[in-house]
Amino acid sequence: MTSDSTAAAETTTVRGLTRPVTIYGGLAALLLVSVLVSLCAGRFSVGPERALAILWQGVLHPGLVPSAIDERVVLLVRAPRVLLAAVAGAGLAVAGTGLQGVFRNPLVSPDILGISQGAAFGGALAITLGIWGLPLIGMVFLLGLVALVSVGFLARINGRTETVTVILAGLVVGSMFTALVSLLQFIADPESSLPAIVFWLMGSFSTATWQRVLIAAPGLLAGTALLWALRFRLNLLSLDEAEARSLGVRTERERWLVFAVVATIVGSQVAVSGIISWIGIVIPHAARLLVGHDHRVLLPSAVLLGAAFMVVIDTLARSASSAEIPLGVITALVGAPVFALLLRRHYRERKEQ
Amino acid sequence: MGGRGMVRRVVSGCAVALLMAGGAGAQQIDIKDQAGRDVKLDGPARRVVTIPMPMASGVIALDGGTGRLVGMNPLSLTAIREGILGKIFPAAAKITDSVTGTNFMPNVEALAAANPDLVIQWGGRGNDIVDPITNAGLNALLIQYGTEELTRQYMTMVATAIGRPERIGPLVEWRDRVEKEIETKTAKLPASDRPSVLYLGNALSSITASGDKGNYNAFYIDMVGARNASADLSGTVTINKEQIAQWNPDFILLNAFEPQLDVSWVYNDPILSLTKAAQNHRVYKVPLGGYRWDPPNQESPLSWMWLADLVHPELFDFDLRAEMKSAYETLYNYQLSDADIDGILWMDKQGSAAGYDRFKAK
Repeated sequence: MTSDSTAAAETTTVRGLTRPVTIYGGLAALLLVSVLVSLCAGRFSVGPERALAILWQGVLHPGLVPSAIDERVVLLVRAPRVLLAAVAGAGLAVAGTGLQGVFRNPLVSPDILGISQGAAFGGALAITLGIWGLPLIGMVFLLGLVALVSVGFLARINGRTETVTVILAGLVVGSMFTALVSLLQFIADPESSLPAIVFWLMGSFSTATWQRVLIAAPGLLAGTALLWALRFRLNLLSLDEAEARSLGVRTERERWLVFAVVATIVGSQVAVSGIISWIGIVIPHAARLLVGHDHRVLLPSAVLLGAAFMVVIDTLARSASSAEIPLGVITALVGAPVFALLLRRHYRERKEQ
Repeated sequence: MGGRGMVRRVVSGCAVALLMAGGAGAQQIDIKDQAGRDVKLDGPARRVVTIPMPMASGVIALDGGTGRLVGMNPLSLTAIREGILGKIFPAAAKITDSVTGTNFMPNVEALAAANPDLVIQWGGRGNDIVDPITNAGLNALLIQYGTEELTRQYMTMVATAIGRPERIGPLVEWRDRVEKEIETKTAKLPASDRPSVLYLGNALSSITASGDKGNYNAFYIDMVGARNASADLSGTVTINKEQIAQWNPDFILLNAFEPQLDVSWVYNDPILSLTKAAQNHRVYKVPLGGYRWDPPNQESPLSWMWLADLVHPELFDFDLRAEMKSAYETLYNYQLSDADIDGILWMDKQGSAAGYDRFKAK
């Protein structure tokens, strides 16, 4: 991995920016197309031309309150949902990329490390205590961070952090928080707060509104921007500990910085759409296959790819049948096989080294 | 219905047998339940636990009191507390609900503590929720959800099991009479005269609707001369608002299960408020009487009449308030006040809805 990332960094500098630019262009086009298709697709039939015309009107006059039903469907139901899916997908992908860099481990992601579950518990706890609004979001962030810190401490044995211990610690912490959410469900009032709690465990964008976009976007965008700002650091952090230190990185402090950013991103996502698994592991790998290990190109690619992928998956979930298909079903069907492949390859490579 | 002219009738196809045992006149009761199991009781059940939600109020109605009911589903208890039954029978609100989870899984210890001689449970939902009852040596009577026929059968079984067979005849006759009365007027309605009705079993956290198969709501939507807007679904599934806009139903019925749900949920929604139902003020929350009127229960004919009056005011002219007063007298020996009826029909929240005028107190 060490030699890989340096090599990747060298190729990009040597060849200049042509290759990443082509790839960015392709990915951006992919995102744009998936967003447009998604805005035209849905259970309510609106012709693509009409949908795009409505969208154009909405862009030209953003303050206008739509009155016709097809306008409302496109501008008040689909647009916020597509946007939320895009920023959440981007956030999860970039958070996964960051975590994999910091842990020097390709098998970690926000849900595998239990951060999503911790965040979900924060939300459920807030509802049980009768807390809503911004303090609720605060609890979501905080518990997400608590989960991540717990994994960090659990996995660190004699000053070393092994891949296996990280994954197992994530499993432990994730299960713990899932159990705590179930416990809250158990003691919750079955008719009023229970449905609200169930929401946290079942990832879905079906409740998307512009208000939710406003709740999630600041954390997701700021977090993504911060990780981008840390791209050089991430490259160094993914080096060997001693090597990184010798290059003047204060590894401990910067690792915590990345953790806080990741918790912010995941908290924002979980607060509006519940736990969404697998995106944080599948997308970083797909992006790495495309552009290599250098975080300077990897992060933007993961953002674009994650957003496009999430939009496509959610479009399928909401428009393939009269019934909403649970998001987790589709992401797991795609994600689990990819994870299995990675797991095998990771250990084969380690054996060969 | 009223107290007069009720014909006691034996329901055809009902597998209930009453056997008189010899000796001191002790009555042994043999019932074949809806899972085809033989249930034997040494005499009328005196302590009954009901796990299916509508059965708690069902037992109260069949018995005419709360004396035999010793345990129920937590969601039966909330219906009693929120609805009129808690007012009619204050003692019912104190009956334990710890005998089962809302998922119908019995709590054996709590069940044993309630010491029932009969436990009513859902059949057709697997043995996992039945075995704990029988393993504890308790008598389980399994009933099945779905059709009107099944409902009449299991109500008859339960009346027999608690030794009140004389009370079921009039109730079945009433169901039969109202059903026929409605059907004679709607049976020949062409599809074009059947407005679409969407019933939402959940609305607040996720929205669910159901197809036709095994769906009691679809049964009476069809009976009153309408069609189920969500007929193309299979089973009960989560849907989105876009799908509702696409169906664009003429009527929307909101469930009585979610206390915080009322018609403003539709009228304040940017999408749903543009459906035909909302535009014509035809959005109604299903009433909560002695039980929630959505699933089959002892008051079902009232829910049919309520919906028939709303869907086809030109065909039906049921005097719902009078029918309710008469039914509550028979079922619970209770005189409904006008305020009680207003509460059951959610007059304060939906009194201004289309067609609700005729339900107003005169």
